Amino acid sequence: MANVLVWAVWIVAAFSCLASGIAVVSFSNPFYSAPALIGNLASLAVLYLLLSAEFVAAGQVLVYAGAVMVMFLFVTAYLGGRADAPWAGGPTWQQFGAVLAAGAILVEVIVVIGLKAGGRLSHEARIDSGFGSPHRIGRVFLTDHLLAFEITSIVLLVAAVGSVILGAHSRRSDTTGDLVHSEEAGARP
Amino acid sequence: MSEPWWISVIKAGVIINLVLLTFAYTTLLERKLLARMQLRFGPNRAGPYGLLQPIADLIKLVRKESFFPTAAIDTPYILAPVVSAFTALAAFAVIPFGNGWNIWRYHVNGVVANVPISLILVFALGSIGIYGFIVGGWASESKYSLLGSMRTCAQLVSYEVSLALSVLGVVITAGSLSLVDIVHNQAHSLWYVVPQAVGFLVFLISGVAETSRAPFDLPEAEQELVAGYHTEYSGMRWGLFQMAEYVNMITLSGLAITLFLGGWHFPFAHGVDFLGPLWFFLKLLVLLFVFIWLRATLPRLRYDQLMSFGWKILLPVATLNALVTALVVVWA
Repeated sequence: MANVLVWAVWIVAAFSCLASGIAVVSFSNPFYSAPALIGNLASLAVLYLLLSAEFVAAGQVLVYAGAVMVMFLFVTAYLGGRADAPWAGGPTWQQFGAVLAAGAILVEVIVVIGLKAGGRLSHEARIDSGFGSPHRIGRVFLTDHLLAFEITSIVLLVAAVGSVILGAHSRRSDTTGDLVHSEEAGARP
Repeated sequence: MSEPWWISVIKAGVIINLVLLTFAYTTLLERKLLARMQLRFGPNRAGPYGLLQPIADLIKLVRKESFFPTAAIDTPYILAPVVSAFTALAAFAVIPFGNGWNIWRYHVNGVVANVPISLILVFALGSIGIYGFIVGGWASESKYSLLGSMRTCAQLVSYEVSLALSVLGVVITAGSLSLVDIVHNQAHSLWYVVPQAVGFLVFLISGVAETSRAPFDLPEAEQELVAGYHTEYSGMRWGLFQMAEYVNMITLSGLAITLFLGGWHFPFAHGVDFLGPLWFFLKLLVLLFVFIWLRATLPRLRYDQLMSFGWKILLPVATLNALVTALVVVWA
Protein backbone atom coordinates (compact mmCIF):
# COMPACT_ATOMS: atom_id res chain seq x y z
CA MET A 1 0.00 0.00 0.00
CA ALA A 2 2.68 2.44 1.08
CA ASN A 3 4.85 1.33 -1.84
CA VAL A 4 2.05 2.05 -4.32
CA LEU A 5 1.61 5.51 -2.79
CA VAL A 6 5.34 6.22 -3.10
CA TRP A 7 5.26 5.12 -6.74
CA ALA A 8 2.21 7.26 -7.48
CA VAL A 9 3.78 10.34 -5.86
CA TRP A 10 7.08 9.65 -7.64
CA ILE A 11 5.42 9.38 -11.06
CA VAL A 12 3.42 12.58 -10.55
CA ALA A 13 6.46 14.50 -9.25
CA ALA A 14 8.80 13.18 -11.94
CA PHE A 15 6.44 13.96 -14.78
CA SER A 16 5.56 17.41 -13.47
CA CYS A 17 9.30 18.00 -13.13
CA LEU A 18 9.82 17.13 -16.80
CA ALA A 19 6.73 19.00 -17.98
CA SER A 20 7.55 22.18 -16.06
CA GLY A 21 11.15 21.98 -17.27
CA ILE A 22 9.96 21.87 -20.88
CA ALA A 23 7.49 24.67 -20.12
CA VAL A 24 10.28 26.91 -18.76
CA VAL A 25 12.17 26.88 -22.06
CA SER A 26 9.15 26.87 -24.40
CA PHE A 27 7.14 29.81 -23.02
CA SER A 28 7.91 33.01 -24.88
CA ASN A 29 6.66 35.24 -22.05
CA PRO A 30 9.17 35.17 -19.14
CA PHE A 31 6.36 35.82 -16.69
CA TYR A 32 5.01 32.35 -17.50
CA SER A 33 8.46 30.75 -17.53
CA ALA A 34 9.14 31.89 -13.96
CA PRO A 35 6.09 30.12 -12.42
CA ALA A 36 6.97 27.05 -14.49
CA LEU A 37 10.46 27.13 -12.97
CA ILE A 38 8.85 27.42 -9.52
CA GLY A 39 6.80 24.32 -10.35
CA ASN A 40 9.96 22.56 -11.44
CA LEU A 41 11.75 23.40 -8.17
CA ALA A 42 8.68 22.37 -6.16
CA SER A 43 8.44 18.98 -7.86
CA LEU A 44 12.17 18.51 -7.23
CA ALA A 45 11.42 19.21 -3.56
CA VAL A 46 8.80 16.42 -3.63
CA LEU A 47 11.43 14.07 -5.08
CA TYR A 48 13.79 15.03 -2.24
CA LEU A 49 10.99 14.27 0.25
CA LEU A 50 10.67 10.79 -1.23
CA LEU A 51 14.41 10.34 -0.63
CA SER A 52 13.93 11.15 3.11
CA ALA A 53 15.70 14.47 2.68
CA GLU A 54 13.10 16.65 4.39
CA PHE A 55 15.51 19.41 5.32
CA VAL A 56 16.88 19.69 1.79
CA ALA A 57 13.31 19.75 0.42
CA ALA A 58 12.24 22.53 2.76
CA GLY A 59 15.44 24.43 2.04
CA GLN A 60 14.83 24.04 -1.68
CA VAL A 61 11.33 25.51 -1.39
CA LEU A 62 12.43 28.26 0.99
CA VAL A 63 15.57 29.41 -0.82
CA TYR A 64 15.05 28.62 -4.50
CA ALA A 65 11.29 28.40 -5.05
CA GLY A 66 10.74 31.17 -2.49
CA ALA A 67 13.49 33.78 -2.27
CA VAL A 68 15.38 33.41 -5.56
CA MET A 69 12.35 33.09 -7.82
CA VAL A 70 10.72 36.14 -6.22
CA MET A 71 13.67 38.13 -7.59
CA PHE A 72 13.13 36.64 -11.07
CA LEU A 73 9.43 37.56 -10.98
CA PHE A 74 10.20 41.00 -9.58
CA VAL A 75 12.58 41.81 -12.44
CA THR A 76 10.32 40.43 -15.17
CA ALA A 77 7.31 42.32 -13.79
CA TYR A 78 9.45 45.44 -13.49
CA LEU A 79 10.71 45.25 -17.08
CA GLY A 80 7.29 44.32 -18.46
CA GLY A 81 7.20 43.13 -22.07
CA ARG A 82 10.74 44.27 -22.78
CA ALA A 83 12.24 41.44 -20.77
CA ASP A 84 12.22 38.95 -23.63
CA ALA A 85 13.98 41.21 -26.16
CA PRO A 86 17.60 40.02 -25.64
CA TRP A 87 16.62 36.39 -26.16
CA ALA A 88 14.72 36.62 -29.42
CA GLY A 89 16.19 33.45 -30.91
CA GLY A 90 19.87 34.01 -30.29
CA PRO A 91 22.69 33.11 -32.71
CA THR A 92 22.63 29.64 -34.25
CA TRP A 93 25.94 28.53 -32.70
CA GLN A 94 24.40 29.10 -29.24
CA GLN A 95 21.38 26.97 -30.11
CA PHE A 96 23.67 24.31 -31.53
CA GLY A 97 25.88 24.36 -28.42
CA ALA A 98 22.87 24.13 -26.11
CA VAL A 99 21.47 21.12 -27.96
CA LEU A 100 24.90 19.48 -27.95
CA ALA A 101 25.34 20.01 -24.20
CA ALA A 102 21.83 18.71 -23.46
CA GLY A 103 22.49 15.64 -25.63
CA ALA A 104 25.79 14.99 -23.84
CA ILE A 105 24.07 15.13 -20.44
CA LEU A 106 21.33 12.79 -21.69
CA VAL A 107 23.92 10.27 -22.90
CA GLU A 108 25.74 10.57 -19.56
CA VAL A 109 22.52 9.88 -17.62
CA ILE A 110 21.73 6.84 -19.76
CA VAL A 111 25.29 5.49 -19.37
CA VAL A 112 25.21 5.97 -15.59
CA ILE A 113 21.83 4.24 -15.31
CA GLY A 114 23.09 1.42 -17.49
CA LEU A 115 26.26 0.98 -15.42
CA LYS A 116 24.49 1.14 -12.07
CA ALA A 117 21.40 -0.81 -12.99
CA GLY A 118 23.26 -4.11 -12.78
CA GLY A 119 21.55 -5.04 -9.53
CA ARG A 120 22.68 -2.08 -7.49
CA LEU A 121 19.67 0.20 -8.07
CA SER A 122 17.17 -2.29 -6.67
CA HIS A 123 18.86 -2.26 -3.25
CA GLU A 124 17.16 -0.06 -0.73
CA ALA A 125 19.69 2.16 0.95
CA ARG A 126 19.97 1.54 4.66
CA ILE A 127 18.93 4.78 6.32
CA ASP A 128 18.11 5.40 9.95
CA SER A 129 15.66 7.87 11.41
CA GLY A 130 18.27 10.62 11.74
CA PHE A 131 19.13 10.58 8.03
CA GLY A 132 18.73 13.98 6.39
CA SER A 133 18.00 15.74 9.68
CA PRO A 134 19.44 19.23 10.31
CA HIS A 135 21.70 17.77 13.02
CA ARG A 136 23.27 15.27 10.64
CA ILE A 137 23.64 17.78 7.80
CA GLY A 138 25.20 20.36 10.11
CA ARG A 139 27.67 17.79 11.41
CA VAL A 140 28.72 16.80 7.89
CA PHE A 141 29.07 20.46 6.90
CA LEU A 142 31.29 21.32 9.85
CA THR A 143 33.48 18.19 9.77
CA ASP A 144 33.92 16.42 6.41
CA HIS A 145 33.04 19.32 4.12
CA LEU A 146 34.29 22.22 6.22
CA LEU A 147 36.54 23.65 3.47
CA ALA A 148 33.79 23.71 0.82
CA PHE A 149 31.37 25.17 3.37
CA GLU A 150 33.73 27.99 4.36
CA ILE A 151 34.73 28.77 0.76
CA THR A 152 31.05 29.02 -0.18
CA SER A 153 30.39 31.39 2.70
CA ILE A 154 33.33 33.59 1.66
CA VAL A 155 32.13 33.64 -1.96
CA LEU A 156 28.67 34.67 -0.78
CA LEU A 157 30.13 37.39 1.43
CA VAL A 158 32.20 38.74 -1.47
CA ALA A 159 29.07 38.71 -3.66
CA ALA A 160 27.10 40.65 -1.04
CA VAL A 161 29.85 43.25 -0.57
CA GLY A 162 30.27 43.51 -4.36
CA SER A 163 26.59 44.13 -4.94
CA VAL A 164 26.57 46.85 -2.26
CA ILE A 165 29.60 48.54 -3.88
CA LEU A 166 28.08 48.31 -7.37
CA GLY A 167 24.82 49.77 -6.07
CA ALA A 168 26.60 52.64 -4.29
CA HIS A 169 28.70 53.36 -7.41
CA SER A 170 25.70 53.60 -9.73
CA ARG A 171 23.92 55.88 -7.26
CA ARG A 172 26.91 58.28 -7.09
CA SER A 173 27.22 58.57 -10.88
CA ASP A 174 23.46 59.11 -11.28
CA THR A 175 23.44 62.91 -11.18
CA THR A 176 19.94 63.35 -12.62
CA GLY A 177 18.59 61.27 -9.77
CA ASP A 178 20.20 63.64 -7.24
CA LEU A 179 18.65 66.61 -9.03
CA VAL A 180 15.17 65.11 -8.74
CA HIS A 181 15.71 64.37 -5.06
CA SER A 182 16.80 67.93 -4.27
CA GLU A 183 13.84 69.35 -6.20
CA GLU A 184 11.48 67.13 -4.24
CA ALA A 185 13.05 68.22 -0.99
CA GLY A 186 12.71 71.88 -1.99
CA ALA A 187 9.09 71.49 -3.01
CA ARG A 188 8.12 70.10 0.35
CA PRO A 189 6.70 72.76 2.68
CA MET B 1 2.93 9.37 19.32
CA SER B 2 1.17 8.34 16.16
CA GLU B 3 -2.52 8.60 15.51
CA PRO B 4 -4.80 7.09 12.84
CA TRP B 5 -4.90 9.11 9.63
CA TRP B 6 -8.62 9.83 9.89
CA ILE B 7 -8.10 11.65 13.20
CA SER B 8 -5.59 13.93 11.43
CA VAL B 9 -8.12 14.62 8.67
CA ILE B 10 -10.89 15.48 11.15
CA LYS B 11 -8.50 17.64 13.15
CA ALA B 12 -7.35 19.48 10.02
CA GLY B 13 -10.99 20.23 9.14
CA VAL B 14 -11.74 21.49 12.64
CA ILE B 15 -8.60 23.65 12.77
CA ILE B 16 -9.22 25.20 9.35
CA ASN B 17 -12.74 26.14 10.41
CA LEU B 18 -11.57 27.52 13.73
CA VAL B 19 -8.88 29.61 12.01
CA LEU B 20 -11.44 30.93 9.53
CA LEU B 21 -13.82 31.76 12.39
CA THR B 22 -10.99 33.56 14.18
CA PHE B 23 -10.26 35.43 10.95
CA ALA B 24 -13.89 36.50 10.58
CA TYR B 25 -14.10 37.75 14.13
CA THR B 26 -10.67 39.39 13.96
CA THR B 27 -12.12 41.70 11.32
CA LEU B 28 -14.97 42.57 13.70
CA LEU B 29 -12.55 42.95 16.64
CA GLU B 30 -10.38 45.24 14.52
CA ARG B 31 -13.28 47.45 13.46
CA LYS B 32 -14.68 47.62 16.99
CA LEU B 33 -11.33 48.38 18.63
CA LEU B 34 -10.34 50.95 16.01
CA ALA B 35 -13.73 52.61 16.45
CA ARG B 36 -13.36 52.71 20.23
CA MET B 37 -9.86 54.15 19.95
CA GLN B 38 -11.25 56.84 17.62
CA LEU B 39 -14.25 57.57 19.90
CA ARG B 40 -16.78 55.88 17.62
CA PHE B 41 -19.06 52.88 18.13
CA GLY B 42 -18.08 50.72 15.15
CA PRO B 43 -20.46 48.22 13.52
CA ASN B 44 -23.41 47.67 15.86
CA ARG B 45 -26.42 46.99 13.60
CA ALA B 46 -26.11 43.33 12.54
CA GLY B 47 -27.12 41.25 15.56
CA PRO B 48 -26.49 42.07 19.23
CA TYR B 49 -23.44 44.41 19.54
CA GLY B 50 -22.87 43.91 15.80
CA LEU B 51 -21.77 40.32 16.41
CA LEU B 52 -23.24 39.04 13.14
CA GLN B 53 -21.34 41.63 11.07
CA PRO B 54 -18.70 39.16 9.73
CA ILE B 55 -21.47 36.78 8.61
CA ALA B 56 -23.22 39.64 6.82
CA ASP B 57 -19.91 40.65 5.20
CA LEU B 58 -19.33 37.09 4.02
CA ILE B 59 -22.80 36.80 2.46
CA LYS B 60 -22.29 40.14 0.74
CA LEU B 61 -18.88 39.10 -0.65
CA VAL B 62 -20.09 35.74 -1.94
CA ARG B 63 -23.16 37.23 -3.64
CA LYS B 64 -21.29 40.16 -5.14
CA GLU B 65 -20.46 40.09 -8.85
CA SER B 66 -16.76 39.41 -9.41
CA PHE B 67 -15.67 42.14 -11.79
CA PHE B 68 -12.91 41.17 -14.15
CA PRO B 69 -10.71 43.72 -15.98
CA THR B 70 -10.83 42.99 -19.73
CA ALA B 71 -7.06 43.30 -19.98
CA ALA B 72 -6.44 40.88 -17.10
CA ILE B 73 -4.62 37.61 -17.81
CA ASP B 74 -7.19 34.97 -16.88
CA THR B 75 -5.45 32.01 -15.27
CA PRO B 76 -2.92 33.84 -13.07
CA TYR B 77 -5.57 36.42 -12.14
CA ILE B 78 -7.91 33.70 -10.84
CA LEU B 79 -5.22 31.50 -9.28
CA ALA B 80 -3.36 34.24 -7.38
CA PRO B 81 -5.83 34.66 -4.48
CA VAL B 82 -6.15 30.88 -4.25
CA VAL B 83 -2.38 30.45 -3.83
CA SER B 84 -2.23 33.13 -1.14
CA ALA B 85 -5.19 31.78 0.82
CA PHE B 86 -3.99 28.17 0.56
CA THR B 87 -0.45 28.82 1.80
CA ALA B 88 -1.73 31.02 4.62
CA LEU B 89 -4.06 28.27 5.86
CA ALA B 90 -1.57 25.45 5.32
CA ALA B 91 1.06 27.10 7.50
CA PHE B 92 -1.17 26.79 10.56
CA ALA B 93 -0.96 22.98 10.30
CA VAL B 94 2.38 22.79 12.10
CA ILE B 95 1.62 25.16 14.99
CA PRO B 96 1.07 23.17 18.20
CA PHE B 97 -1.97 24.26 20.21
CA GLY B 98 -2.13 21.60 22.94
CA ASN B 99 -0.40 18.72 24.65
CA GLY B 100 -2.55 16.02 23.07
CA TRP B 101 -5.46 14.14 24.59
CA ASN B 102 -6.42 10.50 25.12
CA ILE B 103 -9.96 10.23 23.85
CA TRP B 104 -11.44 6.75 24.29
CA ARG B 105 -8.87 4.38 22.70
CA TYR B 106 -7.10 6.97 20.61
CA HIS B 107 -4.39 9.48 21.21
CA VAL B 108 -4.98 12.86 19.59
CA ASN B 109 -1.91 15.04 19.07
CA GLY B 110 -2.07 18.74 19.86
CA VAL B 111 -0.87 19.67 16.37
CA VAL B 112 -2.19 18.82 12.92
CA ALA B 113 1.17 17.79 11.44
CA ASN B 114 4.16 17.11 13.67
CA VAL B 115 7.17 17.44 11.33
CA PRO B 116 10.74 17.74 12.62
CA ILE B 117 11.46 20.82 10.49
CA SER B 118 8.17 22.62 11.07
CA LEU B 119 9.78 26.04 11.57
CA ILE B 120 11.40 25.96 8.12
CA LEU B 121 8.12 24.72 6.67
CA VAL B 122 6.27 27.80 7.98
CA PHE B 123 8.84 30.09 6.37
CA ALA B 124 8.79 28.08 3.12
CA LEU B 125 5.00 28.36 2.88
CA GLY B 126 5.22 32.07 3.68
CA SER B 127 7.71 32.60 0.86
CA ILE B 128 5.40 30.76 -1.57
CA GLY B 129 2.44 32.88 -0.43
CA ILE B 130 4.20 36.02 -1.73
CA TYR B 131 3.63 34.75 -5.28
CA GLY B 132 -0.11 35.21 -4.93
CA PHE B 133 0.41 38.91 -4.21
CA ILE B 134 2.93 39.47 -7.02
CA VAL B 135 1.16 37.45 -9.70
CA GLY B 136 -2.24 38.90 -8.74
CA GLY B 137 -0.94 42.46 -9.08
CA TRP B 138 0.80 41.72 -12.36
CA ALA B 139 -2.10 39.80 -13.94
CA SER B 140 -4.56 42.63 -13.23
CA GLU B 141 -2.85 44.77 -15.92
CA SER B 142 -3.27 47.91 -13.86
CA LYS B 143 -0.63 50.44 -12.81
CA TYR B 144 -1.78 50.64 -9.22
CA SER B 145 -1.91 46.87 -8.86
CA LEU B 146 1.56 46.47 -10.34
CA LEU B 147 3.03 49.20 -8.12
CA GLY B 148 1.36 47.60 -5.12
CA SER B 149 2.72 44.17 -5.90
CA MET B 150 6.23 45.57 -6.50
CA ARG B 151 6.10 47.22 -3.10
CA THR B 152 4.76 44.04 -1.49
CA CYS B 153 7.53 42.01 -3.07
CA ALA B 154 10.35 44.34 -2.03
CA GLN B 155 9.00 44.74 1.50
CA LEU B 156 8.31 41.06 2.16
CA VAL B 157 11.69 39.96 0.80
CA SER B 158 13.52 42.57 2.90
CA TYR B 159 11.79 41.75 6.16
CA GLU B 160 11.77 37.99 5.64
CA VAL B 161 15.54 38.03 6.23
CA SER B 162 15.22 39.72 9.64
CA LEU B 163 12.28 37.49 10.53
CA ALA B 164 14.27 34.32 9.82
CA LEU B 165 17.35 35.62 11.65
CA SER B 166 15.34 36.68 14.70
CA VAL B 167 14.13 33.13 15.37
CA LEU B 168 17.68 31.75 15.07
CA GLY B 169 18.32 32.60 18.72
CA VAL B 170 15.38 30.46 19.80
CA VAL B 171 16.48 27.61 17.53
CA ILE B 172 20.01 27.70 18.99
CA THR B 173 18.69 27.82 22.57
CA ALA B 174 16.16 25.03 22.05
CA GLY B 175 18.46 22.98 19.81
CA SER B 176 15.58 21.99 17.56
CA LEU B 177 13.65 23.13 14.52
CA SER B 178 10.49 21.34 15.63
CA LEU B 179 7.86 23.68 17.06
CA VAL B 180 6.55 20.90 19.33
CA ASP B 181 10.03 20.44 20.86
CA ILE B 182 10.42 24.20 21.27
CA VAL B 183 7.15 24.37 23.22
CA HIS B 184 8.11 21.38 25.38
CA ASN B 185 11.45 23.02 26.20
CA GLN B 186 9.59 26.03 27.61
CA ALA B 187 7.41 23.94 29.94
CA HIS B 188 9.67 24.03 33.00
CA SER B 189 11.94 26.94 32.21
CA LEU B 190 11.54 30.62 31.48
CA TRP B 191 9.66 31.37 28.30
CA TYR B 192 12.08 32.31 25.53
CA VAL B 193 10.73 35.85 25.48
CA VAL B 194 12.95 36.57 28.53
CA PRO B 195 16.37 35.33 27.32
CA GLN B 196 15.47 36.21 23.71
CA ALA B 197 13.87 39.61 24.35
CA VAL B 198 15.75 41.21 21.44
CA GLY B 199 14.81 38.36 19.13
CA PHE B 200 11.16 38.71 20.16
CA LEU B 201 11.18 42.45 19.46
CA VAL B 202 12.77 41.97 16.02
CA PHE B 203 10.35 39.11 15.29
CA LEU B 204 7.35 41.23 16.21
CA ILE B 205 8.44 44.24 14.15
CA SER B 206 9.35 42.22 11.08
CA GLY B 207 6.18 40.19 11.60
CA VAL B 208 4.09 43.34 11.37
CA ALA B 209 5.98 44.23 8.18
CA GLU B 210 5.56 40.70 6.77
CA THR B 211 1.80 40.91 7.16
CA SER B 212 1.75 44.42 5.62
CA ARG B 213 0.02 45.87 8.66
CA ALA B 214 0.27 49.49 9.76
CA PRO B 215 2.74 51.17 10.20
CA PHE B 216 4.24 49.03 7.40
CA ASP B 217 1.14 49.00 5.18
CA LEU B 218 2.84 50.63 2.19
CA PRO B 219 1.82 47.88 -0.26
CA GLU B 220 -1.78 49.01 0.10
CA ALA B 221 -1.36 52.65 1.05
CA GLU B 222 -4.84 53.77 0.03
CA GLN B 223 -3.88 57.44 -0.36
CA GLU B 224 -1.28 56.54 -3.02
CA LEU B 225 -2.22 53.22 -4.59
CA VAL B 226 -6.02 52.87 -4.23
CA ALA B 227 -5.62 49.43 -2.61
CA GLY B 228 -2.33 47.99 -3.87
CA TYR B 229 -2.15 44.60 -5.55
CA HIS B 230 -5.84 43.80 -5.03
CA THR B 231 -7.18 47.03 -6.58
CA GLU B 232 -8.78 45.18 -9.50
CA TYR B 233 -10.25 42.37 -7.41
CA SER B 234 -13.81 42.28 -6.10
CA GLY B 235 -16.24 39.86 -4.53
CA MET B 236 -14.89 36.68 -2.97
CA ARG B 237 -11.60 36.88 -4.89
CA TRP B 238 -10.87 40.06 -2.97
CA GLY B 239 -12.20 38.23 0.09
CA LEU B 240 -9.60 35.47 -0.40
CA PHE B 241 -6.77 38.03 -0.48
CA GLN B 242 -8.16 39.66 2.64
CA MET B 243 -8.45 36.23 4.24
CA ALA B 244 -4.83 35.44 3.37
CA GLU B 245 -3.68 38.65 5.07
CA TYR B 246 -5.62 38.06 8.26
CA VAL B 247 -4.78 34.35 8.42
CA ASN B 248 -1.10 35.26 7.95
CA MET B 249 -1.47 37.60 10.90
CA ILE B 250 -3.05 34.83 12.99
CA THR B 251 -0.38 32.31 11.96
CA LEU B 252 2.39 34.75 12.73
CA SER B 253 0.88 35.44 16.16
CA GLY B 254 0.65 31.68 16.68
CA LEU B 255 4.31 31.35 15.70
CA ALA B 256 5.29 34.13 18.11
CA ILE B 257 3.38 32.36 20.90
CA THR B 258 5.01 29.04 20.07
CA LEU B 259 8.54 30.38 19.82
CA PHE B 260 8.65 33.02 22.52
CA LEU B 261 5.57 32.89 24.76
CA GLY B 262 5.50 29.27 25.92
CA GLY B 263 3.06 27.94 23.36
CA TRP B 264 0.03 26.36 25.01
CA HIS B 265 1.66 26.44 28.48
CA PHE B 266 0.49 28.77 31.18
CA PRO B 267 2.38 29.64 34.38
CA PHE B 268 1.27 27.70 37.48
CA ALA B 269 -1.18 25.61 35.44
CA HIS B 270 0.82 22.41 34.95
CA GLY B 271 -1.93 20.12 36.26
CA VAL B 272 -4.46 21.21 33.67
CA ASP B 273 -2.52 20.58 30.44
CA PHE B 274 -5.73 19.65 28.63
CA LEU B 275 -6.66 23.34 28.74
CA GLY B 276 -3.75 24.12 26.36
CA PRO B 277 -5.90 25.41 23.46
CA LEU B 278 -7.58 27.88 25.84
CA TRP B 279 -4.26 29.40 26.95
CA PHE B 280 -3.12 29.43 23.33
CA PHE B 281 -6.27 31.27 22.28
CA LEU B 282 -5.96 33.83 25.09
CA LYS B 283 -2.37 34.60 24.10
CA LEU B 284 -3.50 34.83 20.46
CA LEU B 285 -6.12 37.41 21.43
CA VAL B 286 -3.50 39.51 23.24
CA LEU B 287 -1.17 39.49 20.22
CA LEU B 288 -4.00 40.30 17.81
CA PHE B 289 -4.92 43.20 20.08
CA VAL B 290 -1.33 44.45 19.86
CA PHE B 291 -1.48 44.26 16.04
CA ILE B 292 -4.69 46.34 15.99
CA TRP B 293 -3.42 48.72 18.65
CA LEU B 294 -0.30 49.43 16.55
CA ARG B 295 -2.50 50.21 13.57
CA ALA B 296 -4.55 52.70 15.57
CA THR B 297 -1.46 54.36 17.06
CA LEU B 298 1.33 54.65 14.51
CA PRO B 299 1.41 56.59 11.23
CA ARG B 300 2.71 54.90 8.08
CA LEU B 301 6.44 54.98 7.38
CA ARG B 302 7.88 56.60 4.26
CA TYR B 303 9.26 54.12 1.73
CA ASP B 304 12.94 54.96 2.22
CA GLN B 305 12.43 54.85 6.01
CA LEU B 306 10.94 51.38 5.64
CA MET B 307 13.88 50.09 3.63
CA SER B 308 16.62 51.69 5.71
CA PHE B 309 14.94 50.50 8.93
CA GLY B 310 14.74 46.95 7.65
CA TRP B 311 18.26 46.67 6.27
CA LYS B 312 20.27 49.03 8.49
CA ILE B 313 18.66 48.49 11.91
CA LEU B 314 16.63 45.28 12.09
CA LEU B 315 19.02 43.06 10.12
CA PRO B 316 22.21 43.96 12.09
CA VAL B 317 20.33 43.68 15.40
CA ALA B 318 18.94 40.25 14.45
CA THR B 319 22.38 39.08 13.28
CA LEU B 320 24.06 40.29 16.48
CA ASN B 321 21.35 38.59 18.54
CA ALA B 322 21.96 35.27 16.79
CA LEU B 323 25.75 35.60 17.19
CA VAL B 324 25.59 36.51 20.88
CA THR B 325 23.12 33.68 21.56
CA ALA B 326 25.42 31.21 19.81
CA LEU B 327 28.42 32.40 21.88
CA VAL B 328 26.46 32.20 25.14
CA VAL B 329 25.15 28.71 24.35
CA VAL B 330 28.63 27.46 23.47
CA TRP B 331 30.35 28.91 26.55
CA ALA B 332 27.63 28.36 29.15
